[in-house]
Amino acid sequence: MSSTAETVPDTETTTAEASPRAGVGEGIVGSIVASIRRTWTIFLRELAAFFLSPVAYVVLFLFVASNGIFFYVQCLKWDGAAQQISLVVSSMFQFAFIWILPLSPLLTMKLFAEEKRTGTIEMLMTAPVTSWNVVLGKFFAAQLFYTLIWSTLLLFVFVLEVLGKPEGPDWGQVISMFLGIFFLGTLTNSLGLLASSFSRNQLVASVLALTGNLVLFAMTVGAWYFMDVPEILRIFEYVSFQSHFSSDYFRGVIQIRFFVFYLSFAGFFLFLSMSLVEARKWR
Amino acid sequence: MLEGAQVLAEPAPATKNVVIEVDELSKSYGSNKAVDQISFDVREGEILGFLGPNGAGKSTTLRILAGFLPGDSGRVVVNGCDVGTDSLGVRRSIGYLPEGVPVYPDLRVEEYLRFRAKLKGVPRRNRKRFIDEALEATQTTDRRKQIIGTLSRGYRQRVGLADALLSQPPVLILDEPTVGLDPEQVRQFRQLVRDVGKDRTVILSTHILSEVELICSNVVIIAGGRIVAKDSADRLRGVVGSRVSLLVEIDGPKDAVHAALRSIDSVQNVDVERASDDDEVRLEGVDASGKASSAASSYFRYRVLAGDGMAVAEEIWARVSSKGWKLRLLEREVLSMEDVFLDFVQGGGAS
Repeated sequence: MSSTAETVPDTETTTAEASPRAGVGEGIVGSIVASIRRTWTIFLRELAAFFLSPVAYVVLFLFVASNGIFFYVQCLKWDGAAQQISLVVSSMFQFAFIWILPLSPLLTMKLFAEEKRTGTIEMLMTAPVTSWNVVLGKFFAAQLFYTLIWSTLLLFVFVLEVLGKPEGPDWGQVISMFLGIFFLGTLTNSLGLLASSFSRNQLVASVLALTGNLVLFAMTVGAWYFMDVPEILRIFEYVSFQSHFSSDYFRGVIQIRFFVFYLSFAGFFLFLSMSLVEARKWR
Repeated sequence: MLEGAQVLAEPAPATKNVVIEVDELSKSYGSNKAVDQISFDVREGEILGFLGPNGAGKSTTLRILAGFLPGDSGRVVVNGCDVGTDSLGVRRSIGYLPEGVPVYPDLRVEEYLRFRAKLKGVPRRNRKRFIDEALEATQTTDRRKQIIGTLSRGYRQRVGLADALLSQPPVLILDEPTVGLDPEQVRQFRQLVRDVGKDRTVILSTHILSEVELICSNVVIIAGGRIVAKDSADRLRGVVGSRVSLLVEIDGPKDAVHAALRSIDSVQNVDVERASDDDEVRLEGVDASGKASSAASSYFRYRVLAGDGMAVAEEIWARVSSKGWKLRLLEREVLSMEDVFLDFVQGGGAS
């Protein structure tokens, strides 16, 4: 009893010190600031880990190389007609779109699996951080690196912007495709994160995530079996992100409801990841 | 197999605050009971040695204490926070060094400690000082720029230790902290823990007994998930330190000799076995009257477990000569702490 009385103030000073910016007498605000700070710390560490990991560089290299080659071939075929610039851009994004399947699994597979395999998860989870701090920090790092990788496509668009004068690429179309890929990334990255929290083996994690991506991607294929039942067909088409891109983003159409759809899936997967981390049943 | 916890003596009267309180803690992995209803307290300023063979449940208990694993049942309070309901509060007040020291291999020592300091909420103005102090205390200052993955095992261990010390927490939980250190580093580590232990509470696990002897103020011996002994290290050391086993071969009436030996002060136990004639005693046996003895089969071998070796040896000699029995062997067997430890662990206990 007396120990409680004596030691608890100690702890509180530590908390208060942990968030000096929150000012004096802070309660909820202070703890939220401290929580955001912890998430930020983990985010920075994970981002650094991407830049320190060979996998990320290999993926980045392959991504840029494959798209570069495709872009080069496209440019060779291009006869210089201005109205075709948007077609070049669109076909380049469509080619790069195949990366949507393996990219997130490759980036996210290590996030938890590696920590569990090497045991560093024990260091991480015995620090005063919540599971949400860890999950969100890791997720945002993956999301940012994912966005960085896709951003390399903008280089090619810039080339068209410079060389394609007077007619440049259709930036509206580029933005719509980019937004589509970004928001879809929240779904695939959170799915990858979830897969990584399932296993201590990176390969297993990436295969799980890839399978999940394939299922969501290939919903349209499943839809063929339901040609006669338009209600089910609509559901399949709604869920399949492949159809979103071919029907909307590649043509420069942004549908907010699909973003909401991706984000809610992302939230759900992140929640599951958090629960798995929280359960800590892996030993 | 093991009976309940054996308390060598009543704990010292409560003078200091209880910082770690473990009450009836149990934890199973499947059907394997890793920790089975253990209870102990650690008071402020104590250095508790958590001693046991591999697989005894040491790491599991420490993991629960550190808030990494949940216990199945029982209550654990660390620094006033319940591990079950206020895990964050517990983790805020501990420095934990897990077994095997898992640290990020891709970071430099300094980067890692900066990351940990931020994670532990060390305020920015203290961060540099705390990191410097932790590096200083663990003598890793010269390696602060090195990438952790390229460090030797001993240095990695020290980085882990620096991390545990980093936020200057009131409670330190160290799981096998001296594994991988060379003897000089172990010596330094002991000094460090003793220094740190002046104003913190430390609980460390080990399977090396001398470590407990040298560092700890209190000891809990655990085996098969249960506590088999808990006491202050001084008392345990007392039990062990002066305890000797004397091997004596005496020619005389077995029961009378046994009774005579048993009645000597501080003799705790006497085992008898027939001295084998084949068992050649290389040293020339000498009987009480100084004549060379013939190795007669009437010799019995007595193993005398006693508290004070030298005095008992004298007394044995005195008694044997006064009764006119023959003595051909009086040998002191070194009874290591290991023997006592094994005694406890195998459930016999020191009777």
